[in-house]
Amino acid sequence: MIKNRKLELITIVAILGFIMVFLSVSSNGIYEFAGSDNVGSEKIAELTGLSVDSFTPLIPQYEPPSGEIESTLFALQASIGGIMLGLVFGYWLGQRKVSQKS
Amino acid sequence: MEGFLPWQWCAVWWIIAIPFLVIGVIELRAMMKKDREYLPLLGVCGAFIFILSALKLPSVTGSCSHPTGTGLSTTCFGVFITSIIGAIVLLFQSLVLAHGGLSVLGANMVSMAIGGPVAGYAVYRLLKNTKVNIYVIVFIVTAVADLVTYIITSLELALAYPAQTGGIAASFAAFFVIFAITQIPLAIVEGCVLALVFKYVIELKPEMIIKLKIFSEEQIAKARGASGFLPGEVKA
Repeated sequence: MIKNRKLELITIVAILGFIMVFLSVSSNGIYEFAGSDNVGSEKIAELTGLSVDSFTPLIPQYEPPSGEIESTLFALQASIGGIMLGLVFGYWLGQRKVSQKS
Repeated sequence: MEGFLPWQWCAVWWIIAIPFLVIGVIELRAMMKKDREYLPLLGVCGAFIFILSALKLPSVTGSCSHPTGTGLSTTCFGVFITSIIGAIVLLFQSLVLAHGGLSVLGANMVSMAIGGPVAGYAVYRLLKNTKVNIYVIVFIVTAVADLVTYIITSLELALAYPAQTGGIAASFAAFFVIFAITQIPLAIVEGCVLALVFKYVIELKPEMIIKLKIFSEEQIAKARGASGFLPGEVKA
């Protein structure tokens, strides 16, 4: 049985295209690739005439002390999702196998 | 972006968000009571919101932003349940990551967990009974939900910070360039990925999609036929 893999191909092409665009944009070195949130914050500072640092959270909150820790926490978030995903698809595959046998 | 919205606006967005959450909880509880077999599908939808909203991706505009991943959940479960999953992710990010915050959580929920899904759901309803391939529908729903999320973010900021010359419209345009234009390539890739995931869901659990009345049996049979399965071949 030859499965049609059109959608997989399209997705791979889209991701590759995305990477290529990124490489070509980043190669000239003029962009910093800051988060759009930060760019937005600067825009607000520009509009209000206040400095970015003068905006503090209304409700005090925990802030990751460094970029390292922040990246850990983001990785943690993604891995929670990944585990859940693997679990469910594994469960479904197992279910299908059992129902095919009987 | 904690601290960047005046408290009046924080309150407004919270007030808009709360009814969605309440209905979401009610819908979720009703669904759980009726049939727990949908729980895994809910898990998949939630998992993708978790994963995708953790990935900050670079874009053509030279800045980074993250996709939202709400399209799949919107297609499968509608706006209200999606708003709950989105709210959980946003709460996680604001509590441990200082990405967003408790006071702007309302605003973030309105854009990512509510506004995007509402737009996506509208597209889904519009295309549901047409001849458009179901994977294409999921793609469009996802991309629209993602883009609208950032259009609403721009709007929220523009309302709070109108430009001195040109007012809300001018600052909306400025924020739109920062947030929404960055998002376009991300939305396209995200749409492809979630359409692919939906394909796998359909290959494994077509009966669930039919039972939830997301798409009709014929639509699924057609799409599966196109992906190599003859209809009826893999009837579990």
